[in-house]
Amino acid sequence: MNIIKITANGIYNLILGMWTTVKYLFSHAITLQYPKERWPMPERSRGVVVLTTDPETGKLKCIACAMCVKTCPTSAITMEPETDETGKKQRYPKVFQVDQGVCIFCGLCEEVCPVKEKAIKFVNQYEFSVYTKQELIYDMEKLAEIGKGSK
Amino acid sequence: MLELERLFKAVYLWLERISGSLGIPHFWFDLFTMILVAGIILAVMSIAAMFLVWWERKIGAHFQVRFGPMRTGWHGSLQLPADGIKLLLKEDTTPAAADKPVFLIAPVIIFVASFLAFVCLPFGKGLIVRDLNIGILYILAITTFTVVSILMAGWGSNNKYSLLGGFRSAAQIISYEVPLTLSVLGVVLLTQSLSMVKIVSAQEQVWNWNIWKQPLGFLIYLTAAVAEVNRTPFDIPEAEQELVAGYNIEYSGMKWAMFFFAEYTNLVLVCGVATTLFLGGWNGPILPSWIWFLAKTLFLIWVVMWFRWTFPRVRVDQLMAFGWKFLLPLAFLNLILTGLLA
Repeated sequence: MNIIKITANGIYNLILGMWTTVKYLFSHAITLQYPKERWPMPERSRGVVVLTTDPETGKLKCIACAMCVKTCPTSAITMEPETDETGKKQRYPKVFQVDQGVCIFCGLCEEVCPVKEKAIKFVNQYEFSVYTKQELIYDMEKLAEIGKGSK
Repeated sequence: MLELERLFKAVYLWLERISGSLGIPHFWFDLFTMILVAGIILAVMSIAAMFLVWWERKIGAHFQVRFGPMRTGWHGSLQLPADGIKLLLKEDTTPAAADKPVFLIAPVIIFVASFLAFVCLPFGKGLIVRDLNIGILYILAITTFTVVSILMAGWGSNNKYSLLGGFRSAAQIISYEVPLTLSVLGVVLLTQSLSMVKIVSAQEQVWNWNIWKQPLGFLIYLTAAVAEVNRTPFDIPEAEQELVAGYNIEYSGMKWAMFFFAEYTNLVLVCGVATTLFLGGWNGPILPSWIWFLAKTLFLIWVVMWFRWTFPRVRVDQLMAFGWKFLLPLAFLNLILTGLLA
């Protein structure tokens, strides 16, 4: 009697397993075909570091206070300030470099930035692989250009 | 329109007329048609094997909620030609300490054995190479050469994993050959013939199919057939986690491709034989006979793939215990019941 019970139980479990797998066969695949399709990135996701531009004047919002340079834990940011002598004596960055290879995406620079709506910030662009380390050092023009293009 | 047997008959008669008018001796004409038919079967088998590899990858992927190959061609349909070209161009290595003649002949034997068995598989009404009066016996006998080849590959490679794989395969195929043959005997008892064409002709209507008269026999055949072709859950001869790849570990390039090819042609063969014996072969309404045969065979192959992506592999001792202590008595019971009731 026992062997019949074991056999029946085994057959039931085999059928149960097959029913489970066949349900998955006819369900839709969850794979994302990466280069063709992409996940929508969240608003506050930290991709590449950029400099933002004031849309009214077309100039960088950065006031060259060097707060981000001081706070950066990996010293990824290099900045040289210059003072605009005409008018209100506004400081602006002459050189601004971010080494994206050194950046750890901690977000401290964005946090300490005193400018309204942040002069330095992270955008949700995450595809910036290059072939050499040198290409990862972004200069001011490149930072500003990516900052204009993405959110 | 799609009646292939009429087309073949017309081509045959046309060739016969031409050879008659040219005065070619009948022997040469016969040889030529034989080579032609062999070529057609080889081509069909190659396409089937290529299609099945692709299909298995796709089905396996979808069982795991993935896509599988997607880049080469429509849904990865050109993946297999690409892989085939790669295999042809690959370096064909032979281990230094291998038993060279044995090592070289093994893939040829498995290939020839799986190819020869197609001689008496009825692909459709009138689409059979030779309707031998001992058809099913011939198929069972010729497929046994597979185990010789696997043993040769395992021994000739001079590798512990391939040797273990070969031994396991020999033990498995010999154990499961017995219930397989006994389950086939039930059908033979009912039909009172070993000829494949007669077996198919005996099950013309759906309610005449042998699966209704032999449900137990069908299940035993399917289980033993899965073990015969070394597929999961009985794939211990090539269990990746234990034996790396089993008997074909030292093979590369075209020789490995021959093993791979034979594996899938054997799958087509056992499913084709199951269709012929239990599912009414080519019989079916409206559509041409070969389409029915193809559809039933593909359905069975799909079921075997379904097994593969559902069941975990059994242990060696479990496999032997299941084969000898459970499947064999059940097969005898089936045979006795058939003998009493038929």
